[in-house]
Amino acid sequence: MNKILLIIQREYLSRVKKKSFILMTLLTPVIIAAFYGIMIYFSLQGATSTFHKVAVVNNNSRLTEKLNSGKNISYTYFSTSLQDVKKNYIKEGFDYILYLPDFPLDAPKGIQLMGDKQASLALNSKVANDLEETLRTQQLKASGIAQQDLDRLSTSIDIDTMKIDENGKEEDSSAGATTIIGSAAGILMFMFILLYGIQVMRGVIEEKTSRIIEVMISSVKPFQLMMGKIIGIALVGLTQFILWIVLTTAISAVAVQFFTGKDKVAQTMQSASTLNSNKDTVKAGQTAAGSQQTEKAEVQDKLTESGPVAYVQKSLAHLDLTKIILVFIFFFLGGYLFYSALYAAIGSAVDSETETQQFVMPVMMPLFVGYALSLSVISNDPYGPIAFWLSMIPFTSPIAMMVRLPYGVPDWQLGLSMVLLIIGFIGTVWFASKIYRVGILMYGKKTSLKEMIKWFTYKN
Amino acid sequence: MLSVHNIVKQYASHRALNDVSLEVSQGQIFGLLGPNGAGKTSLIRIITQITAPDSGEVIFNGKRLNSDHIAQIGYLPEERGLYKKMEIGEQVLYLAKLKGLSTAEATKRVKYWFEKLEMGSWWNKKVEDLSKGMQQKVQFVATVLHQPELIILDEPFSGFDPVNADVIKNEILELNRQGATFIFSTHRMESVEELCDSIALIHQSKKILDGKVADIKEEYRNNTYWLEYDGSLPSEGYETLYQVIKKEEIRNKIRMKIQLHPGVTANQLLYYLLPLVNIHRLDEVIPTMNDIFIEKVKPSQN
Repeated sequence: MNKILLIIQREYLSRVKKKSFILMTLLTPVIIAAFYGIMIYFSLQGATSTFHKVAVVNNNSRLTEKLNSGKNISYTYFSTSLQDVKKNYIKEGFDYILYLPDFPLDAPKGIQLMGDKQASLALNSKVANDLEETLRTQQLKASGIAQQDLDRLSTSIDIDTMKIDENGKEEDSSAGATTIIGSAAGILMFMFILLYGIQVMRGVIEEKTSRIIEVMISSVKPFQLMMGKIIGIALVGLTQFILWIVLTTAISAVAVQFFTGKDKVAQTMQSASTLNSNKDTVKAGQTAAGSQQTEKAEVQDKLTESGPVAYVQKSLAHLDLTKIILVFIFFFLGGYLFYSALYAAIGSAVDSETETQQFVMPVMMPLFVGYALSLSVISNDPYGPIAFWLSMIPFTSPIAMMVRLPYGVPDWQLGLSMVLLIIGFIGTVWFASKIYRVGILMYGKKTSLKEMIKWFTYKN
Repeated sequence: MLSVHNIVKQYASHRALNDVSLEVSQGQIFGLLGPNGAGKTSLIRIITQITAPDSGEVIFNGKRLNSDHIAQIGYLPEERGLYKKMEIGEQVLYLAKLKGLSTAEATKRVKYWFEKLEMGSWWNKKVEDLSKGMQQKVQFVATVLHQPELIILDEPFSGFDPVNADVIKNEILELNRQGATFIFSTHRMESVEELCDSIALIHQSKKILDGKVADIKEEYRNNTYWLEYDGSLPSEGYETLYQVIKKEEIRNKIRMKIQLHPGVTANQLLYYLLPLVNIHRLDEVIPTMNDIFIEKVKPSQN
């Protein structure tokens, strides 16, 4: 037992001390945090995107309803001719001219948006929307509907998805976030098992090609050496995973702070300039009304009430992240043990890494299939029979279960899957150890699957 | 201290060891000889418990070989290897601890040996930065560090320059004086002559010769002598005493390799020669282990 501990210690320390490990472990959270930060940055950017001032020249006497200025746009009506406006709009601080010719209200055409710069697609559709709404309002009013009735009608619709547990209690859930979390966990699981499984194989091949194996085996049993290596590398994976979570959380928190703070300044400046230069706008100055303090509060509000970040944050709040992480750790260890034992057997059977191809493929296939099916079938039908079986069979269960988990999996299924995985890895470890003990001392023979089966029956 | 009884080891279609028995006694340096592929490594792997025999048994200090004996055996395989990326000091410590030494004890002994073999500055170096000879030295230290009673060395001198080979040889002799028993597997017969007390010769999976080196040599003496003289011997009359195997002339002297007939002694030969020629040299040709090895292995190889 003591010897296994020594082996675990060496396998662990020799990997954790490597520069590549330290770099990977530290850099990945930074990259994730950077993505997170950029996402926040852009969502805020969207909320306070470039402000457009549009000069409106209305030659249409039938259109009496006026365009309403919005958050990022202001409409100012001019009574002078289009020619005059064209001459002066830049001087007066406008970006674009909206020209409304004389058209019948039920067939608007000939409308132009002009400016020294090409209007963006987003601006174009924004103006078109505003105009459509104005037209509709006018026509509704013409048919005798009062303003307050109109206001009442313009509600936005947002469907909340709810899960109801067996007691009839409602749980908030979010289909989008569930899919994202599930797939992310599945991908991470797939990567981890593959990455660390192959590390086991490399480790075995290294011992074999460097010929230290004979010295080792004269001190410890092959099984001890194999298990020590597998467990040691598992701990490396676990260390990396936990560090990633801790570091990502920490760095993300810092990043959120950073981007929010920076944006506050940008927006204040923007709002201030709006206020100074545009006295005719209806609502634009609204956000600049308060001091910097309220300004910041407002940005925070925006952050929480809209945008993809807020959406993710809100959805995450409804998922039991702790449970997901714990289950992830269990299935990572289980799935890793299951596969790494097979990788160890492969490593023992070959003389160099180039020879591993023919054996690695069949071992990796179920993992690939599980991965592919998990992302397509399970996401569409997380409770269907395919999803159920994939999440039970140890070959695919680590990935499939992680994809299913955020949708909610009955406890008995989770438990059964865990038990099956444990039985599975005990099986593969037993199987692998029989091949391993023979393989590691075989040199210079090209090994076939048939040969490996023969080793299986060798007496120790 | 080590008795090997009727070991049989069968690999798929190849019998690596066929009913091999041998006896190594306490304090011996025992040579395990044989051509390539004879089964030496298979036997060593059984003694070091890397593999188990199909039948037969190994007795170590009166007990059937078991995992408790691992700490009492040190093994230097022919194919040397270390973890390439690991630092030397750390690596030797690791191997020592796997043999059951405590960290403190292992550290003390590694320092002692590194000092002794002038490897003190290597502690933090990586294996891949060392030359092959240096790596061999590290491995030798790792093999003897836990003070095993039985040390098995497979081709211990290959890869060493003459100076370092000598250093290692002296260490072996010193450890032997302190009581360690050695099993040597080698093709280099001159080191067998120099070091070994007893040998066993394995050929084609069978033991074909064993015993004390002196006894074996005695047995393979065949009354052959080198004779050097000047003057001339009659062309007849000697046939009853010896036959000439080789004759050559060097600077006025004649050198002959002769084999005395059974029952004829060197004294009788001298008695015959003295009145006839000036004798410069009369040497008995003792067969070297090399001769014996070749003689035993050659005929059956065809």
